Amino acid sequence: MFRFILKRLSYTIFVLLGVSILTFLLLQLTPGSPARLMLSDGATEAQVKEKEIEMGLDKPIVVQYAKYISGVFQGDLGYSLFYNMPNSTLIFQRLPATGYLTIVALIIALIIAIPLGIIAGVKRGSGIDFTAMVFALLGQSISGVVLGLVFILVFAVKLGWLPAMGYGGLSFVIMPATALAMQMAALITRMLRSGMVDVLQEDYIIATYAKGISRQSIITKYALRNAILPVITVIGLQVGTFLGGAVVTEQIFGWPGIGTLTVQAIGLRDFSLVQSILLVISACFVLVNLLVDIIYTVVDPRMDFN
Amino acid sequence: MSKKELWRRMRKSNFFIIGAVLVIGIIIIALLSPWIAPHDPVKLDLANRLKAPDGLLKGWKGNILGTDPLGQDILSRLMVGSRVSLKISFLVVISTAIIGTALGIISGYFGGLIDTIIMRTSDIQVSIPPIVLAIAVMAVLGNSTTNLILVLIFTRWVQYARIVRSNVMMIRNMEYIHASVVLGSSKLRIMFTQILPNVLTQLIIVMSQEFGRTILTESSLSFLGLGVPAPAPSWGVMIADGREYLATASWVIIAPGVALMIAVLAFNFLGDGVRDVLDPKNKN
Repeated sequence: MFRFILKRLSYTIFVLLGVSILTFLLLQLTPGSPARLMLSDGATEAQVKEKEIEMGLDKPIVVQYAKYISGVFQGDLGYSLFYNMPNSTLIFQRLPATGYLTIVALIIALIIAIPLGIIAGVKRGSGIDFTAMVFALLGQSISGVVLGLVFILVFAVKLGWLPAMGYGGLSFVIMPATALAMQMAALITRMLRSGMVDVLQEDYIIATYAKGISRQSIITKYALRNAILPVITVIGLQVGTFLGGAVVTEQIFGWPGIGTLTVQAIGLRDFSLVQSILLVISACFVLVNLLVDIIYTVVDPRMDFN
Repeated sequence: MSKKELWRRMRKSNFFIIGAVLVIGIIIIALLSPWIAPHDPVKLDLANRLKAPDGLLKGWKGNILGTDPLGQDILSRLMVGSRVSLKISFLVVISTAIIGTALGIISGYFGGLIDTIIMRTSDIQVSIPPIVLAIAVMAVLGNSTTNLILVLIFTRWVQYARIVRSNVMMIRNMEYIHASVVLGSSKLRIMFTQILPNVLTQLIIVMSQEFGRTILTESSLSFLGLGVPAPAPSWGVMIADGREYLATASWVIIAPGVALMIAVLAFNFLGDGVRDVLDPKNKN
């Protein structure tokens, strides 16, 4: 198991390096010279050339990447001229807000999906099962943007129960988190339901019935443990979608996280900041999946370490 | 599966029937929209801005769903906007399927270094959240419909490549493939005449489920101003335009929001239906 984790760790490092190459190349796509973007509009060709040499843009691309990645390893993600601050400071100031939003959203998704999925799977064909399936289909089909705006319209504008925008405690986070959670909740409900349906038909579950173990303990101790495994993987894989959704949701609710920063950076054409955000978000995603894989080895004793 | 059996399963699947009827309906509206839309979708009429929906009171020539902040008829914009969403999702889903399948077949059949390169690239690709990557690339490239389509293709080929690859590796060592090799078939021929038909079912299932997701992603990007450029009547752009008027003229947002939901729901129903029809064992 230790060897598995080591192997998984080296794989993670490989992936992160790959991601850094991709984000580095992104900036090469910028139309025009990055040096020109940093100078005022009236800059002459000669001034742009001079700035390019100063920024190392005349060097071969491999050298530029080497310089970039050695900076990243030292925590240097570049400098934002617009904010007059290092990119890393900017990003890590905003990261907690996004973390807060996504964690609350994940909790909401689990609170909705786990009971709904289990009951629907156990009581197949019942009213709850039907409700769960309708919820799953609607949840996967509604746009987070529209849901967020409808929440604002209903709960903030019409009913006046919750603040429409801003950052703060439960009353602020509940709307953006629920809007963000809906798709994940729908997906988990669906997976858990079909997982329960499958597991409950297995021979070993029927055998536990024959042994006279109570229905409740069969469901929670035997069936759920098996049905929940693929859900853990999916949560890990969906974190990417989640972080992407957070970027959009934050924009709707004026939530001061990474998403709002991204949109501001795009508005200012601060591409080096956009590049760094992409790198940090991807790194978060990769690390969450590393964590999920490690949790997996603990939860699933059948796990094959080769 | 015989045609008759396929037909029987199609009729038996409620998802398939509802999904197919809705999707065909949406496609017909989209195709006919330039002729059947009640008004010119991009004609500005500032005297009539933010007019509340008339409903059916004034008949087809009234503003059935109201007007937007520029006085443009919302129903007409929705109808013409469906063309934008459909065009993008069809182009994206079909191109990603072709590119992903080609890479998956190559990867699975040849193995070795080519396989390693393609699969490691896909590992890196899936480590970047697609919508965030799309936002960043669109920001750098500038927003145009062509760029949007390219970005969406670029972010979604991986799952096809992976599914196809694992199927190819399974099929590759079956006896009938060995038999083709012995009979002197070229690799290319084997890939397209023997292997492709075997992975087709899985491909169609994935493709049918991708339409809805693509429409949603497109609308989110357009909402952020990083997708379809104005004044094209895209649903995402319409939602973004109506945001300021949420409290005073909510119909500006609700109409495209509902249209978006119906379209995505239709494709998701169809996707589930297609899976029920083609792969009844998998009820996930």
